[in-house]
Amino acid sequence: MINIWRLTKIQLLSTFGLNKALHTQDTKERRKLLLLSLSILIGIFMVAAASFGYSYAMAQLFEQMGRMDLLLAIMMSAASVIGFFTTIYKASGVLFGYKDYDLVMSLPIRTSHVVASRVLLLYMLNLFFTLVLMLPAGAVYAIQVSPGASYYLFFLITLLFIPLLPIIAATLIGALISWISSRFRASRLISLILTMAVTIGIIMASFRMNGSEQVLADVSAQLGDMIFKLYPLAAIYVDAVCSSQVFSILLFISISLLVFILFSTVLGMKYKAIHTGLTTSHTNSKYVLKSLRTSSPFRALYFKELRRYYSSSLYVLNTGIGMILLLVTSIALLFMNPERLGQLIEVPQLTDYLGRMVPLAVSLFVILSCTASSSISLEGNHLWILKSSPISQKDILLSKVAVNLTITVPISMISCGMLIISLRTGWVESLLLMVIPVIYACYSAMLGVIANLKLPNLEWTTEVTVIKQSAAVLVSMLLGFISVVVPLAIMFMLSHVDGNLVLSGIGVILLALCYVMYRYIATRGERLFQAL
Amino acid sequence: MLTIRHFTKRYKGGKKAVDDLNLVVEKGDIYGFIGHNGAGKTTTIRSAVGVLDFEEGDIEIDGISIKKDPVACKRVTAYIPDNPDLYDHLTGIQYLNFIGDLYGVPRADRELLIKKYGDAFQITDSLGNLVSSYSHGMKQKLAIISALIHRPKLLVLDEPFVGLDPKAAHMLKTIMAELCSNGSAIFFSTHVLDVAEKLCNKIAIIKEGRLITHGKTEDVKGDHSLEDVFLELVDK
Repeated sequence: MINIWRLTKIQLLSTFGLNKALHTQDTKERRKLLLLSLSILIGIFMVAAASFGYSYAMAQLFEQMGRMDLLLAIMMSAASVIGFFTTIYKASGVLFGYKDYDLVMSLPIRTSHVVASRVLLLYMLNLFFTLVLMLPAGAVYAIQVSPGASYYLFFLITLLFIPLLPIIAATLIGALISWISSRFRASRLISLILTMAVTIGIIMASFRMNGSEQVLADVSAQLGDMIFKLYPLAAIYVDAVCSSQVFSILLFISISLLVFILFSTVLGMKYKAIHTGLTTSHTNSKYVLKSLRTSSPFRALYFKELRRYYSSSLYVLNTGIGMILLLVTSIALLFMNPERLGQLIEVPQLTDYLGRMVPLAVSLFVILSCTASSSISLEGNHLWILKSSPISQKDILLSKVAVNLTITVPISMISCGMLIISLRTGWVESLLLMVIPVIYACYSAMLGVIANLKLPNLEWTTEVTVIKQSAAVLVSMLLGFISVVVPLAIMFMLSHVDGNLVLSGIGVILLALCYVMYRYIATRGERLFQAL
Repeated sequence: MLTIRHFTKRYKGGKKAVDDLNLVVEKGDIYGFIGHNGAGKTTTIRSAVGVLDFEEGDIEIDGISIKKDPVACKRVTAYIPDNPDLYDHLTGIQYLNFIGDLYGVPRADRELLIKKYGDAFQITDSLGNLVSSYSHGMKQKLAIISALIHRPKLLVLDEPFVGLDPKAAHMLKTIMAELCSNGSAIFFSTHVLDVAEKLCNKIAIIKEGRLITHGKTEDVKGDHSLEDVFLELVDK
């Protein structure tokens, strides 16, 4: 057991540049990491405060119904759903895609313990989301109900077990996809397609479920039944925490732990075979030199970067899922009347709102698809190739921006084209709908490059550390999010002013910011890259 | 071809990795750079090829300062690190073509040299495979070929013989001699003192960041073997 913790600890130390922050002797670096930790803490505090407010508002409603247990049931289910969806597409990468595999597997440790340590890393990261959602909900429940001492004890104990089952369910799907993929020649491509198909499939299925039952919209006692039916563990959880049933808490913990142990043991048996299948390349020793196609250095860098992007299913899934969802939503809207959509969520003036807000909504998807924020860190040990080559650092950085634009611009243009048709926007709105997301795409890509230059992580052992957990990704995501939310708030506040005028103003400000960032990349960016 | 003047590299915290190093590699030289682990060889080499930034001193390649015009310096230089991590997601030929593009090597030249060195290192047949499928030695060979296809005036290598099979090591030595006879210069670090003694016309020995001796091989070693001289100097 101690070895599982040792392995998990080693992985945790590389997360968010934690170990670097603890051991660096460079005061400037330490200050930077301290500031980053502080801003992350502020971010967590803000999310927790919002979560508390949300729980409190729900509690008022449930109190009238006399069903306060629903508060914990809903928040526990929400934490589980978030855990499931944020794990499903990184599971394969965390389980099998790490560089120190040879080192770890040569140690005198059981394979099932190696698997357990990989799952525990996922668990640790998800526990964080669970705490942010559940602690405020638990506090609100305690304020409203004033339960006995056993509530606090049971609530805190079960808190640790909530993320376990959703993570294992997601990891199981991830491992199954890896296992199927490992049997094919193009294993990475198969893994990418399967993961994407499963993720989109589950999202679509959950939409359909909500639409058909129509119970989520009108809050009633049926809501509890539905949650308990869909996720029986929530019922056991509510019995354990709200009614302080010892049997239920034991059952809840036993199920979570048993599934964890069973999963680690079973996967441990097939672990090496799956890893070998995934990492073995099919080689051919009959290559004959053909005529080579030459290109300019920038083009060569661009295609190298694009190949790098498509070579990692985790990279594609993490940054591409937003664009795919945008495309799917745009196609779905083509077949749905916006007035009907308005009726569905009880906003009859939806068409009007959509016309104004949709460029920013599309831009939000664009911001979520930032490939540039991890592109420099992903160079890792290969950085020497670019640094010793006779090319300007600016070209290297701009090739990363260009790849990001390749991922975001064509899909957002196509989606906006469809949205123009489905929302029947006027010509000014249509123009803004086409232009604003493109400006955001440039803004997000350059912001990503700068964030990664400022917060690089070149010493990673698994891509997940860089793509999902690096400081650069978090910062650029947060700043990007703020850059969309602030204009949205301005739009709401200036609802009496012509929306197109406000949007145009926002576009001009963003363009100016893009120019400043471009200048920064071309001057200071070169020096920062050289110093890596 | 390579001039290092008063080069000092400090690491974060102020400790000197290399202290006031001066060295000149001329055209036609095969210059061996020797020192124990952590002596400052790799730091010097990485700074010379523009991979590592430095503040004190200057390094010139073909008369151009690496600080002032790094791109011009890199255009005539080739570098092979001690552990060549290459792009795993590219095939061998894609990698060589990528390097050819970055250095602007004409197509005919590129094809000719890839064929020549690919055959010499017996790797041509495998160039269609992903780099991730290559062994350490094959990656080393691919890195060497990528360094040679743009006909560098200065070849800088960090422990080039590690991981190479005897035949490939022999081939590399032949190519190094051939390059120098054509007017290029080679600067390389090694722990294999026999090779340095036989191959290099000049030797420099570094200890704890300071150059303790340098010059023509016969002057450095005198009547002794290079191994004896090295051990005596570093144990002082």
